[in-house]
Amino acid sequence: MTSKLKIVLPLAALLAATSLAAPVQADTLANMERERALLIETMLDGGMTPAERHVRLESGQRRLLDLERMVLRDDKLTGRNTPQVLRAFANYDLTFLVHASAEKNRTMADTWLAQLGLSTQSVMSAKRGRR
Amino acid sequence: MNAKRYLLAGPCLALALAMMAPGLATAKGGDVPNWQPVASEKLIKLPANYLKKSLDHDFARSALSAAIQDTDGEIGLKGQTLEDLRGAIEQAEGELAVELRHQFLAQKREYINLMKRKADLRQRHMETKQRTLERLLKKLSQEKGAMTPVRVQLVAQQQQARERFQGSLAKVDLSVLAVSAVPESKYAQEYATNMGAVEQLVAAIRQHPMNAQGEMAGGPATKGDFIRQMLADTQAAVAILEQEQNILGYMAKLVALDAMALSEQVMDGQLTDSDIPVTASPAAAVKYFVN
Repeated sequence: MTSKLKIVLPLAALLAATSLAAPVQADTLANMERERALLIETMLDGGMTPAERHVRLESGQRRLLDLERMVLRDDKLTGRNTPQVLRAFANYDLTFLVHASAEKNRTMADTWLAQLGLSTQSVMSAKRGRR
Repeated sequence: MNAKRYLLAGPCLALALAMMAPGLATAKGGDVPNWQPVASEKLIKLPANYLKKSLDHDFARSALSAAIQDTDGEIGLKGQTLEDLRGAIEQAEGELAVELRHQFLAQKREYINLMKRKADLRQRHMETKQRTLERLLKKLSQEKGAMTPVRVQLVAQQQQARERFQGSLAKVDLSVLAVSAVPESKYAQEYATNMGAVEQLVAAIRQHPMNAQGEMAGGPATKGDFIRQMLADTQAAVAILEQEQNILGYMAKLVALDAMALSEQVMDGQLTDSDIPVTASPAAAVKYFVN
């Protein structure tokens, strides 16, 4: 009986440890993408006053900062080659908007537009015309 | 006189053993207890040094292990019987000695049968273990093989992203959190608190003796190395088992020869006591014709 316990107990402990280590299911990437989409929507919303936009962007930025960190620290995403994850890590500046903007001392809107290939210069030099 | 019994039993015993001897290595019982380990994901995830213990523990609980232990016990008892009979034969004489020699041969045959049964069971154990280890090795290599070029690229990108994030962490904190009027989030606060605890635990795990990586001659061993080593050990055990079965074959042949010798010895004695007249040659009858 004792010899059985000697083997069973460590095995049980080990298996319990591995099962305890199983993370809670939470799709960090989807949450981050949703928050980022809302933030971009706020950036582009023409029906908002600049002050209102500023307040909203600031609180949204803090939330997105945390969510970006959750994604970057999420081990479950390592090597998970789904289209969503592949796309997210293909462009750091576009995905991790808050971090990339703070790193370059730019606003989120600037970083986002730059990643889409839109700059003040390119907008100013654009001409109206028919395609 | 039981001589006729020996005349029949001796060659029969010899024949039975002689037939058994060449087939020892391949003979298998129809209703043999089993051991069915599963090369599960959990088994693959276990640390290398626990893998062997887990397999051994699983085997110890199986019907096959119980059967081997039972057979071992029977072999021990049978060995004792053989020892007793050998002592009795040395002291016995005449018909009792022949009877005891016959018993001795019969017990030897049973002993060999038990040894053969044990060898078969052990062979089954080794073959099952070998198959399980091969499956584990295959699964392990499949996991490694799943690293497609796309996945390799993704992992590299994720690594770069994390490095970039770690590198810019302080700067981001300064530029976002210092300027912002919003207080630090609950996540950021609790993450920092928990991180200290996590680091302490990780350090304790790293230093734990049971977490030490398996060592093999030539340096630390990976899980694959460890399984391959276990596989080689199992194959060596199978080879030794085959050699042991050859030994059993020789033992069986020797018992068969002993049985034939006993049979002949009894037959010779019976012929000596027989009333049948010895066929005389004409030369022996010459005295009746010469006056």
